[in-house]
Amino acid sequence: MVLTTEREPEHEVVIEMSESKGKVLTLEQARARADTYLRYNIDTMETADRWKIPRRFNVKVGKFGLAKLLFKEFFKYFGHWETVFSRPCTYGVFSGPVGGFSPRPNLCVGCLRCEVQHPDFVTVTPNGELRALGDKYLTWRHISTIDEEARKGSVPVRGQGYRGRFGGPGFDGMFTDMSEIVRPSRDGIHGRELIGTQVDIGKKPMHLEFDGNGAICNEPEMMTIQVPFLYSAPPTNLDDDRVVEIMASAAAKVDTLALLPVDVVNRLELGGANVAPIVNCAGCEVPEGTRLVELRQWDEQAHDALENKGLLVSVAIDMSGDWRADMKEARLGGASILHLYADHHGLDGEDGFLMDTLAEAHTNLVNAGIRDEITLIGSGGIAGADHLPKAIISGLDAVGLDHSLLVAMQARLSGDTKERNSATVQLPDDFDNAWGLQRVVNLSCSWRDQMLEILGAMGVREVRRLRGEFGRSMRCSVLEAEAFGEIEGYPGGGD
Amino acid sequence: MVFSPSEPKAPTPTLMSKTLHLMHDGLNARAFSKAPKPEALGDARWTDDLILATWFMAETGEMPENFNYMTGKSNGGFDRLDFKFIPEQEWLEHGEHLDTRLNLNRRDDGRQQLTPDLPIYGGGMSYGSVSVNVMMARARNAKRWNSFMSTGEGGYPSELYGMKENVITQVATGYFGVEEKSIKATPIVEFKYAQGAKPGLGGHLLAAKAGEEVAKIRGSVPFVSLFSPFPFHSTYSVEDHMKHIDWIQTINPEALISVKVSTPHDVDMVAVGSFYAGAHIIHLDGSYGGTGAAPEIAKKNIAMPIELAIPKVHKFLIKEGVRDKVTLIASGGIRTADDVAKAIALGADGVVFGTSDLVAMGCTRCSNCEGGPSGRGCPWGLTTTDIELKEWVQQDWGEERLYNFYAAVQWRLRDIMRKLGLSAIGDLRGRTDLLRYISGGEA
Repeated sequence: MVLTTEREPEHEVVIEMSESKGKVLTLEQARARADTYLRYNIDTMETADRWKIPRRFNVKVGKFGLAKLLFKEFFKYFGHWETVFSRPCTYGVFSGPVGGFSPRPNLCVGCLRCEVQHPDFVTVTPNGELRALGDKYLTWRHISTIDEEARKGSVPVRGQGYRGRFGGPGFDGMFTDMSEIVRPSRDGIHGRELIGTQVDIGKKPMHLEFDGNGAICNEPEMMTIQVPFLYSAPPTNLDDDRVVEIMASAAAKVDTLALLPVDVVNRLELGGANVAPIVNCAGCEVPEGTRLVELRQWDEQAHDALENKGLLVSVAIDMSGDWRADMKEARLGGASILHLYADHHGLDGEDGFLMDTLAEAHTNLVNAGIRDEITLIGSGGIAGADHLPKAIISGLDAVGLDHSLLVAMQARLSGDTKERNSATVQLPDDFDNAWGLQRVVNLSCSWRDQMLEILGAMGVREVRRLRGEFGRSMRCSVLEAEAFGEIEGYPGGGD
Repeated sequence: MVFSPSEPKAPTPTLMSKTLHLMHDGLNARAFSKAPKPEALGDARWTDDLILATWFMAETGEMPENFNYMTGKSNGGFDRLDFKFIPEQEWLEHGEHLDTRLNLNRRDDGRQQLTPDLPIYGGGMSYGSVSVNVMMARARNAKRWNSFMSTGEGGYPSELYGMKENVITQVATGYFGVEEKSIKATPIVEFKYAQGAKPGLGGHLLAAKAGEEVAKIRGSVPFVSLFSPFPFHSTYSVEDHMKHIDWIQTINPEALISVKVSTPHDVDMVAVGSFYAGAHIIHLDGSYGGTGAAPEIAKKNIAMPIELAIPKVHKFLIKEGVRDKVTLIASGGIRTADDVAKAIALGADGVVFGTSDLVAMGCTRCSNCEGGPSGRGCPWGLTTTDIELKEWVQQDWGEERLYNFYAAVQWRLRDIMRKLGLSAIGDLRGRTDLLRYISGGEA
């Protein structure tokens, strides 16, 4: 497009490219046309908790000690009332109507100034109720962080460095790489909006073929979602239509997919481009506008029949069984979208963790020379924003979210949370759709933005380029062996 | 985002007296075990013992008996390494003859020789992220150790010119506060390419902390968020980096050049590139390092911990034949004297302290440096420019606390050296044969 630099509206713009070549627009028309361009955006809004997550700290103040202090200071600083009534807390814990006599521990951030200053009558202790949430995989820290993300819709930012263990199990054992100098997305926080988070789901040919007239013979059959994650079906024992409705609405708002059982989809009339019904057979009715369906298990006839209806077909592969064989059978039978389901701790039936199992699944496809023809989706074990890029680095095209969505909706999970469909899920009493929808949208935005932080640090311009890029990650165990291998006592290392 | 500050008010002398008295007595009560350990204090990297031990050292200049002052409970890295001391009868005498000095210029290029008394100097903490009082306390401590502290990226408050021989001027990607005057004043110019806690993400001073003075020095307007982009927009290559160094050395031909980078997979290549561009000091900042504000996702996930980066770079510099021509400095999770010695044994020449300095001055690692819910910054007066809170750290007190802490660190370093039979800290460099890895169970 050639645009004259003068600002007068009578100046004309001549379009020199695209389908409108040669068309003449006034400057105003050109501006109006430019204004139709919308950058992808997820609208967040602070959405308060409906169930008050347990506070971080308990604060106890000895009333006698406090009274004694006030009495003493009343005389010592008589006339300097600001000094007498000064409080060690800048967060308002002692700023209620009767000050420290009735502290407000929900405001405590654990700076401990009060306890250090007044060791004789103030104690601050971690709240055991908060730490009892979750299990060994979906920990209280994950729950508390997801809660914050779903409430604010932003990236959690805090001061001080990392506070946890060195490396660690599961995804904690992977670090992502960064680029010090040379990088295509060079603008730090200002450039992150230019990083693409779209992913394609469907059948992509390894190369294009053309007929004698130059027309493409094998066009890709695929759809695009705006974020590299989708919403996996809630547990079957959660009998609450509101959750399903929220997932469908959130998927439409974020422009991703909600995988939901076909009977529920039909009963609640949830169809549309962003809902992917889960079906058992080719005969299942799916709503108009459906782009993708998921087969509960590999069935070649059903797969072909559904494809013949013009649908994209994902095939669920349960990783508790012989998933390698199931995957191979499905892809040899013509499946192009495979959805691997690990348990909620990210393990397969042989206790292999996602980082390894996904890498193996990805590598098998690479070795077979068909990686780009297959879309690999994975669900289970995604408990934090960092798990998203790590799962993609491990080989996924897109990641399914499950428990994290329920946590965003402040569901309390109890019982066995490792296995699918066995945990008891309790939703907040005053749960409603609008609230739940915004919480899920907020979480989606926060996780997308955190993905952008990781991609920005690497200098990667689009998330599609991260898939299976093992070289963009570092395994703690490998680095440790390199660094400490010659030191006495290191397992398998120096003598 | 525009932040509307509440009415700022400096504390009255009576309030100052009361508060400082209570804070200092409280720190000492905990450090001297006159009150129990606060249950909520500490985490896996900085345990309650490490924090209280640091408070003890900062008050006394000695090592505590009641606390583990050597390791945390992170179950890896430094916390899984120990020293292989020689038999007790072969230990050297503890004393000043044990040399803890660090040579910062190994290039033999005619520029000044800088040798701090300790293999330690102070890391960058910008004006804005901390107050002038904290900066001055650190600078005055550096002077007493013939050492340095870095301005961080936030300019050079005028008070610092009085300490200019001990102040490193940092040039970072936003060029905030970079002036010819501060480049000329400094013995070392530090290029900050990245920061370990948020590698590749640039910097961000939240609006609440960008007050009148901070904004003025940074050439901005008050109470507006200030972003430092990533990376240097004029640097695509080692040659571009060399050009950067040329600019600086045109203004100050005597200055040594330090290049601070984080720890990506190719950190070894980056280090060698920096050397060939003219750096005297390669400063590696590991991923578990401190920050005034960073996305939580960045802290633990991007780049590698410093323990894993040091040997990688050290070995590569040896392989390239340039190890003895450059000083390798490590930071990002160096907490104790034992960490210093382990970092050197892994291959560093020296280290940079950041969080440890703050802990010595009372930090409890509550993570509210960026403002927290109050929007005012650190309630201990460390990472804040709030007109009231900043007064909780007085320069004399801060300087004394840091001096004592560094004295204790030096004592412990000499203790380690003598038990290893080494009379100079430089002899420990790269001696992984003097380390033992504690495997199995929880270290």
